[in-house]
Amino acid sequence: MISLLLILIPLFTGLLTFFLKQEKTAKNFSIFSSVITLGTVCIAIFFAQNNQLLFNTQWLPALGSRFSISLDGMSKALVLLTAISFPVVFIATYTNKYKSSHSFYALMLLTQAGLMGVFMATDALLFYFFWELALIPVYFLSSIWGGEKRIAVTFKFFIYTFIGSLLMLVGILYLYFNTVVPSFQIKDLLAAKISLKEQNILFWLFFIAFAIKMPIFPLHTWQPDAYEQSPTAVTMILSGVMVKMGLFAVLRWLVPLFPESAKTYSNIVIALSVIGMIYASLIAIKQDDIKRLIAYSSIAHIGLMCATIFTQTVIGTTGVMLQMFNHGINVIGLWIVADAIEQQLGTRKFSELGGLAQKAPSLAILFVILALANIALPLTNAFVGEFLMFNSLFQYNVWVAAIAGISIILAAVYTLNMVQKILYGNTVAATEKALDTTLNINWMLIVLVVIVFALGVYPQPIIDLTKDTVNVIVQNR
Amino acid sequence: MNAIILSALGGIVMMFTGIFTQNKIVIKNIAIITLLLLLIGNLLHFYGIYMLHVDVKDMLQFNNFGLFFNTIAFTSTLIYFLLSGTDITKVGINVAEYFALIFFVLCGVSILTSFHNLLMLFLGIEILSIPLYILTGADKKNLKSNEAALKYFLMGSFSTGILLMGIALLYGASGNFSIESVPSTTSKVAEMANSSILTPLGLLFVFVALLFKVSAAPFHFWVPDVYDGAPSVFTSFMATIAKAVGFIAFIFLFESRIAELGPSSRIIIPFVIILTLLIGNITAVFQQSVKRMLAYSSIAQAGFMLFVLYSNNDISSEGILLYSVAYSFATIGIFAILIKMKDYTFEGYNGLAKKEPLIAAANTIFLLSLAGIPLTAGFFAKYYMLLSAIKANGQNALWLVIVAVLFAAVSVYYYFRVIQAMYFKEGNPEIATTNTSFKVILLALAAIIIFIGLFPTVVLNFLYF
Amino acid sequence: MHWLLLASDATNNSAYSYFPIGIQLIFAAGFVAFMIALSQWVGPKRKTNDKLQNFTSGIASHGDARQPMAIKYFLVAILFVLFDVEVIFFYPYAVNFRELGWAGFGAVVMFVSFFLLGFIYIIKKGALKWED
Repeated sequence: MISLLLILIPLFTGLLTFFLKQEKTAKNFSIFSSVITLGTVCIAIFFAQNNQLLFNTQWLPALGSRFSISLDGMSKALVLLTAISFPVVFIATYTNKYKSSHSFYALMLLTQAGLMGVFMATDALLFYFFWELALIPVYFLSSIWGGEKRIAVTFKFFIYTFIGSLLMLVGILYLYFNTVVPSFQIKDLLAAKISLKEQNILFWLFFIAFAIKMPIFPLHTWQPDAYEQSPTAVTMILSGVMVKMGLFAVLRWLVPLFPESAKTYSNIVIALSVIGMIYASLIAIKQDDIKRLIAYSSIAHIGLMCATIFTQTVIGTTGVMLQMFNHGINVIGLWIVADAIEQQLGTRKFSELGGLAQKAPSLAILFVILALANIALPLTNAFVGEFLMFNSLFQYNVWVAAIAGISIILAAVYTLNMVQKILYGNTVAATEKALDTTLNINWMLIVLVVIVFALGVYPQPIIDLTKDTVNVIVQNR
Repeated sequence: MNAIILSALGGIVMMFTGIFTQNKIVIKNIAIITLLLLLIGNLLHFYGIYMLHVDVKDMLQFNNFGLFFNTIAFTSTLIYFLLSGTDITKVGINVAEYFALIFFVLCGVSILTSFHNLLMLFLGIEILSIPLYILTGADKKNLKSNEAALKYFLMGSFSTGILLMGIALLYGASGNFSIESVPSTTSKVAEMANSSILTPLGLLFVFVALLFKVSAAPFHFWVPDVYDGAPSVFTSFMATIAKAVGFIAFIFLFESRIAELGPSSRIIIPFVIILTLLIGNITAVFQQSVKRMLAYSSIAQAGFMLFVLYSNNDISSEGILLYSVAYSFATIGIFAILIKMKDYTFEGYNGLAKKEPLIAAANTIFLLSLAGIPLTAGFFAKYYMLLSAIKANGQNALWLVIVAVLFAAVSVYYYFRVIQAMYFKEGNPEIATTNTSFKVILLALAAIIIFIGLFPTVVLNFLYF
Repeated sequence: MHWLLLASDATNNSAYSYFPIGIQLIFAAGFVAFMIALSQWVGPKRKTNDKLQNFTSGIASHGDARQPMAIKYFLVAILFVLFDVEVIFFYPYAVNFRELGWAGFGAVVMFVSFFLLGFIYIIKKGALKWED
């Protein structure tokens, strides 16, 4: 029952926010709502009994679809990430001005409801519903409040993901007809009788949908544009939480449903992921824009996670679970820094920035820590995750791991380059009058940095959360 | 039977209303009341209460499926009257006659949902079509309206000719007009000619004529011009109710006989579906006028509805009903808003969300429904169609389904252009003043669409009363 | 016997027996085609502008043919045709009225009353009013 609350709270507060015409009220109300959600998630994860985390009721009896959600190990980490990121984003961007801001916050909360649903649904049709429900508010958010080229860019993003999700729908329908009893429940789909040939077709139908969302190399073209043009608060959610939808879906649906195909095609998928990692890292080096750099760096990180999933080892999958959470924390931190710089100085270009450390020392310290976490330095959270993942890739194939390893070096190149150009050197015209960041941003960054260190030193809590399901996923093959 | 009698009487009542009063509001209200009576009469038929016991000699057969479609058609018309009734009265001077003609179309609808005989099929189609020809040309001073009416009439009568030829051939093969395939023992023609040619050929002719009526490619050429030229209020009616009933006729006719079309039916039907989807969607992308875009999109939607012929099972029959509801309600809503706009181009919608937030929100929901986004009725409509295809043919249907969903993604492009114009672009749209009741009905319609999008089975439960 | 006469033997009914007719058809069509082609080829041609003009009964055309004209005549004519055709339905009833009994009578009364309603409608609408 408590898991249902996690969807209902943001859904209803979101709908309510549409009617709060006062800007301040809407802001405070949505922060309030997201904090309540966070509290509920904490209670659910740390105190509730297992049976309270399930919710299963009749929805469309004629179709064999049930409204069933479950907060199991796999979803716990991501639900927690979703719950943490929304209040952080709201507070960190508190001073940002939006026209008709009540709609902005309302749509953000609806996105949260959709994300929660995606991570918890155990019914394929319901999963598809939430998958779309998370997409549509983001489409409006980015198109209304985004940058100059927002309409075309966001539309590209929408069409890409919509094509993907429709292909997934076809796959779901096909599986449905091969279940023993007509049902969309994941356990019934797992028991579906499908031949190897059918499995291979369905694998690609699902994989394209998830690959677009992650995104994986040839299907990634929407991503840098969308990240750049969306309002930063939305970009934080997009890259911090939404791309995890793709990875999560691969773990929850794709690999368990089509274990043989996942094995057959693992070499293709891993090759694509590794190509994407190197390709995105190389492009990131050439960027002159903070947002685009983080976007490409994100593609590289996601590529590593996707590759690791398909090695199908316990250690690797644990690493992916951990890293999904960590990457969300780190990348949101980086976006907050990017937004703070853009809001104050009005530019995101390195070439127009420099010497910010003299003017904004506290921002500089936090930024450097987050940047180091992005390179996965030891003591930061990302180190543990990436170590586990590379370990798994080495077991799979030494050469793949070696090539993928290049991306760590490249990550260091572009991240440190960015840090150096923005923070150090002489102050330029734009940074001459810069002030240090405001308290709300600093506090949120501190929260994130604390998580970075905490999980860097002691990642066990997150690993414990996901332990059971990792075994299930890997055993299942 | 109630529906046929009442709709014909309703038409006559409306004709005479026009003689006794010229007051537009009175006429509109009489039409709404008559339609309500018609709706009630049809519902009474569900419970076995008849006005007259007529021996129809098995030429008509009433079942829940047809009666339920009647209910959908009448409800859609009621919503249409409530939303656009005032605009109907503004088309010209013969206000009452427009309503009368719409009632005659509904009479045709009621016949087409119950025919069990090829003659009744022919009668139904004619009763449906002829008022539509007149309605198309209702804007007498407008040259485009005149052109559309003439084009529609010529093309329509041509297809009627083909239908008659098909019926004649089927009669030749079996010696009777029944829609069931009864092998003839009496027909001399059948003995002389090789009846194995006559039946498929006749069915093919009827098939083509009906494809014309539902505006499927390659018989779609009349659609854009007619829908664009006709007064917008009547386009709304033509594109929804008058079109959806074509599919019902298709089901009745081909439910048991599709196989007799010969082995080629397995090639023809997917071919028609893909061609319809292709032409409808791709051409709609290039339109500049929302009205014309809706005309092409209605071809594209017909492509999805044609899945009913491909799969021809219980899911597809339920699906076509759901599709009719989803498609009719959404299209009527969109047209009701379109009529109020002064500029029919996409640019005309720029900035509507700022000026009329409620109308823009409702329009968005209608467009999302047409595009088949989840949480709206349109999603489940498309869902049922795809489901039925996979059920019917399994793996062999997979390619067709994938092609169809790709075209659904294309359709998002042009539907979302309207949303983009309303929400993301600046502008000062010229929209006629609307009263509160218009907005309330519009929002109620949007709410119904979302409700069906959440619980589609509620609608279909009516079938099993 | 000569082979042409042999083919025309009435008792021998096969495709071959149509052979003389075929010859005649070909000859007829060929002769016409030949004469047309010949006159076209041999005959003199003088193209003048006057020959391309529209004319009726030797009178030169003038003005635009698309002129508004009173619709009354056509309206009356079409209504006449409509009612005249409907009257045809009385004949089969008159022939069968004993067999059809009261049910048939009821149907015809219904038909006539619809008919009458239509008539009232056109009168009330002023369709038969000749002068404005």
